[in-house]
Amino acid sequence: MPVATQSHIHLHVQEMNREAAETVLLVHGMFTNLSIYYFNIAPLLAQRYHVVLYDLKGHGMSARAHSGYDLTTMSDELLALMDRLQLSSVHLAGYSYGGLIALKTATRCPERIKKLAIIESPDPYEQETMSVVDVYSKELLVHFINSQGLHTPVPMGRRQLERRHRLYEFLLKESTIRQDMQHERHFFSKGGIQNIPHETLLLYGSHSNCAGAGLELQGKIKQARLVFVNGDHNIPVQEPFEIGHMLRDFFDTQD
Amino acid sequence: MDQLTQPTQLSEAEILQVLKKFITEVIGEEFVEDLDITAESSFTKDLEMDSIEIVSFSEKVKTYFGKDIDFTGWLSNMDLDEIIRLNLGDITKYIHTCL
Repeated sequence: MPVATQSHIHLHVQEMNREAAETVLLVHGMFTNLSIYYFNIAPLLAQRYHVVLYDLKGHGMSARAHSGYDLTTMSDELLALMDRLQLSSVHLAGYSYGGLIALKTATRCPERIKKLAIIESPDPYEQETMSVVDVYSKELLVHFINSQGLHTPVPMGRRQLERRHRLYEFLLKESTIRQDMQHERHFFSKGGIQNIPHETLLLYGSHSNCAGAGLELQGKIKQARLVFVNGDHNIPVQEPFEIGHMLRDFFDTQD
Repeated sequence: MDQLTQPTQLSEAEILQVLKKFITEVIGEEFVEDLDITAESSFTKDLEMDSIEIVSFSEKVKTYFGKDIDFTGWLSNMDLDEIIRLNLGDITKYIHTCL
């Protein structure tokens, strides 16, 4: 299990098809982990690309961190990971808060990104968005009880309930994650998103509360194309093959 | 883990033992003590493994059995519903047919 060490934070990293010429880097969202890509989306992309996926700090198998969940710090960590893997530029895709990290990185270091894909990223300004985070967190337990939006609900046992509970207790009560996300509320209006030069694919769920953010990003990013996928905020779990194919086709297309 | 026997020589029963060891490493001995791990055990319902633990298990399988099997490729043709329904017997059979 490859583990990258940077800025005294241990990040759990997985790579597929290292021999490929181009790299796709995948960033997951808050309160989830790299497994959202690992089983379907990443292997599909790895048929043509070197794929890098990692657990954000405090998530999955990466180390816990009490602070630094703001977009600048998370973007710094993404760039440090690219440096460590000697990746000068990548196709970058992010889901939910991971998409905001990708957007932030695109505004700060546009030369390090080839194409950009944003999946279901909310507008941090909307009150509802923070409640998305709240709902997201409340929903997460339900979400996990329902086996991450799967069609076949699986009851959660004691050990998993305790694991989820510990994750929530830590992130929401012992870390600065809430405050850090609150501080990003002006990101869509003042974050320089309108200067993003990349060809950008915006993937949103047709029934998602975040769909308005997709429309907003389409209006701000010059080369953005918005595509709705049948589903809600959980489209990477609900439609992984469709998402994987759409990402692959998007990255494949020449300018 | 120590490899005293080449993976290619393993029977299905021996492969199952290897997989049990991986599960113990992933979820911890204290939890495994309460579980009866058999070929019929499924990841989620019986073993209570979540998706990141299945990732960890998959990596151990890939590292141990090497290039003889494309475990991630095999899993990638299934949706998560199918993956969580998988039992250890299914995985044992798949690995055995590849060796």
